[in-house]
Amino acid sequence: MSAIHRVRLPTGARVIVEIGHEVEPAEVLANRRVAGEGTILPISTRLRRSPAAAAEHLVARPGALLEAGEPIASDGRGREVVVPEACLFLGYDLDDGSALIAPLGTAEPVIGHVRGRVTGISAEAIEIEVPGAVMSGVGGIGGAVHGELMLAVSAPADELRATAIDVNAAGRILVGGSRASGEAMTRARAIGAAGIVLGGVLDKELRDFETAQARRREVGAPHGDFAVLMLEGFGKVALDGALFGWFAAHDGHMASLFGADARLYVYEAEPPPARRVLPRPGDRVLAHRRPFAGGSGRLERILDGLRATPSGVATRAALVRFDDGRSAIVPLANLEATESFDGA
Amino acid sequence: MTSSVTGAELALLVDVGSAWSKAGVIGRSRGAWRLVAHAAQPTAWGARELHRALVDQLEASGDRRLSGRFDDLLRGANRIECHSPQRQGRLAIVAVSRELSGGAARRAAESAGWQTGPLVSLDDGRSLAERLRVLQLAEVDAWLAVGGFDEGASPRALECAAILAAARRPGSAPVIWAGSARLAEEVVGLFEEGAATSVPNARPDARRDEAGPLRAHLEELLRSLLVDDETSHLAPVTLPRAVGALATESALGILAVDIGARSAVRVLATPAGQTTVRVSASGGLSGVVLVPGAAGRVVRLAGEVGDEGTVADVLQTQRAHPATLPYLAEELAAIQAATRVAIAALLEDASPGPVDLLVGCGRSLAAAPRPAEAMRMLLDGARPIGVTQVAVDAAGVLGPLGSLEGDELREGLRLLADDLLVPLGTAVVTRGGEPGQLAMRVTVHRAGWPTPAPIAVRVGQVQVVALPRGSEAELSIEPGPGVSLGASRRSPRVRAMASGGAVGLVLDGRGIPIATPRRGDDRRAMQAAWADAIAREERTG
Repeated sequence: MSAIHRVRLPTGARVIVEIGHEVEPAEVLANRRVAGEGTILPISTRLRRSPAAAAEHLVARPGALLEAGEPIASDGRGREVVVPEACLFLGYDLDDGSALIAPLGTAEPVIGHVRGRVTGISAEAIEIEVPGAVMSGVGGIGGAVHGELMLAVSAPADELRATAIDVNAAGRILVGGSRASGEAMTRARAIGAAGIVLGGVLDKELRDFETAQARRREVGAPHGDFAVLMLEGFGKVALDGALFGWFAAHDGHMASLFGADARLYVYEAEPPPARRVLPRPGDRVLAHRRPFAGGSGRLERILDGLRATPSGVATRAALVRFDDGRSAIVPLANLEATESFDGA
Repeated sequence: MTSSVTGAELALLVDVGSAWSKAGVIGRSRGAWRLVAHAAQPTAWGARELHRALVDQLEASGDRRLSGRFDDLLRGANRIECHSPQRQGRLAIVAVSRELSGGAARRAAESAGWQTGPLVSLDDGRSLAERLRVLQLAEVDAWLAVGGFDEGASPRALECAAILAAARRPGSAPVIWAGSARLAEEVVGLFEEGAATSVPNARPDARRDEAGPLRAHLEELLRSLLVDDETSHLAPVTLPRAVGALATESALGILAVDIGARSAVRVLATPAGQTTVRVSASGGLSGVVLVPGAAGRVVRLAGEVGDEGTVADVLQTQRAHPATLPYLAEELAAIQAATRVAIAALLEDASPGPVDLLVGCGRSLAAAPRPAEAMRMLLDGARPIGVTQVAVDAAGVLGPLGSLEGDELREGLRLLADDLLVPLGTAVVTRGGEPGQLAMRVTVHRAGWPTPAPIAVRVGQVQVVALPRGSEAELSIEPGPGVSLGASRRSPRVRAMASGGAVGLVLDGRGIPIATPRRGDDRRAMQAAWADAIAREERTG
């Protein structure tokens, strides 16, 4: 099984890999030079003209990339202003006759964060064929990270507790269960974990954690990337039992997690248990929305006609026997059929 | 429509939404065209399942002589369809100010149907490198640069355009400059030939937003980008056409609001045929959670729905699984409050003023379990001042009908007149007055009924009078001191006709906007009293 991952390239990036190249998650695929903060470059005084007159002699236009020593203005009579270092020309101030330029810093690497084979290169992106399984979640935060998967709870409905996170988590992507508190996320981050994969998370705790991370960055705290991915929903939502079994079977596999894109690649992995809408009697099902969110069970039968939920919404519904022993009538729209997982 | 329908005696109206699909079957019954079956389901279930649900309904309740033939009849029926756009145009904005020029640009873009991507501004707290990185990584269908007033040639505005020129890959998506007119030529010159277009400034001076030309340009650009989509069947196009035709046919001023899973549409149509449309690409229920402070607003509006954290989870779940349904009463209450937030957001940039008919479309409004809930969402969200009939497009037929051509559309509206909309009743909404003082005194005259004593409604109060569907009443309204019904008047009394519906006549003195107590307990008690008042007649009537 494989999936195509697209690494978007910023303008001006210099690609250093070729098609067919086998790349590792931390490998540099391209280099780019990042613009620093803007600085002022006097133009009119050097041309010995008024600011308005000097504007007529600009030879570059705002937005242009200039190499060191390249002229930015020239009066055609020998007087010219050159840029001292490679920079972006951002604007010209008609009041004081100066140019706003942003010097380009040293080259920064563009990293793909995935392992695989380069299958395509264009000006916009590098495409990499990733040997493994890909899954998408319903939300996430953080950038791109990679590390070994590590099962951190013993059951899909368990909460990932801060006390369960120790130094073994460093550099790994933890697979939690139904929720991780803000404290657990902070501890995982502090101990050096690469990320966390969860069934659900309380939106407020996730936002608070995100805000705390942003503040850390603002005050210049040392940081590596850290990502969180929610696969099922928001609130306390267990992972589907079959999916949890799949994660257990792939404990220790290398994975790449893209938090903000809510995507996870797991290498050398079988496809995760498939899902489909409109389950049929006998199907294993996963429920969404409270009070059954994250509950797995078997669909016993689809009821005739429309049924009213406690909220009063009349809809097609099914009788579900959940794994925890409960039986309930659940809107069919809130159920997904899930494939069972027999283990690797 | 008639000629195409008569052969099979059935026609199928289908609205394929981004999360839910709705279908109605119209058939000839005793010489009249009526809605004979209706089904709604998650779009992901597919057309075959929708067809099966309709056939099951027809077999259960249709003409028994046709039993066993409905499958074939439906397959041969004329299919009249609209659908949500397959994809949305994405646009990045570069602005001098996040709130001022950036805000005006974002509103114009969203109201033209665009989904706005990154907004980079010179006051966003990012470093220059971060701004460039955000723009360089943006995958968009167009770029919009704004800033500066028309009188000046602000270097900051030019800097915005320069940042965009530095970040954008030549030959990629088109650029629109809607900033300082004096900089237009210079800005267009920053990009390769033909890449940038200048339109009139969306904020020509500090006091004015003039987003009309920008919005028109963006609408045209979006149409050209989405050329693969058959625009005559796109719901944001068909709904306004149907509402416009309905306004002309009925000689009523109509405001229709469609709150979908992903996007929202507002249509204001006059009897003279003028139609004003606003499409908000992310104004649907999924987008509510992205509005800053949305969970708090929902808590304040909804009463007993839990704390902000719980509501934030409900809203996020709605975004993550838009085709699922609220199972618990408090979840439904939160979603309905979110719908009110979405309606208010859709109307915030232009108050429509008094209208004759307010129509609610979209699942959360049209399929509300109880009519009183739909009435409350519409009244609280839109606050239609004056005397307004209120109805919902319960069967979701307006959108599909709007895909018909002119004469066919008018004929379709006429043929379906009785089943087109479900009337909820009439609302009388006042503005102004002092809390606790008289908002209005209303006398309800119904032909053949004794005239009851006038009903006094105080500011902050809402009362409902039974007025069933099909009945009419003449209202004599005497507004209280300092209270307005939205139109200037010479007489101390206003006379108006009210038509009945599933809820009745709602006398709403809560003001515009609705003022609620600061204390949580008081606010919840008041919300519960209002909900109870609006639902009371529905229960007893």
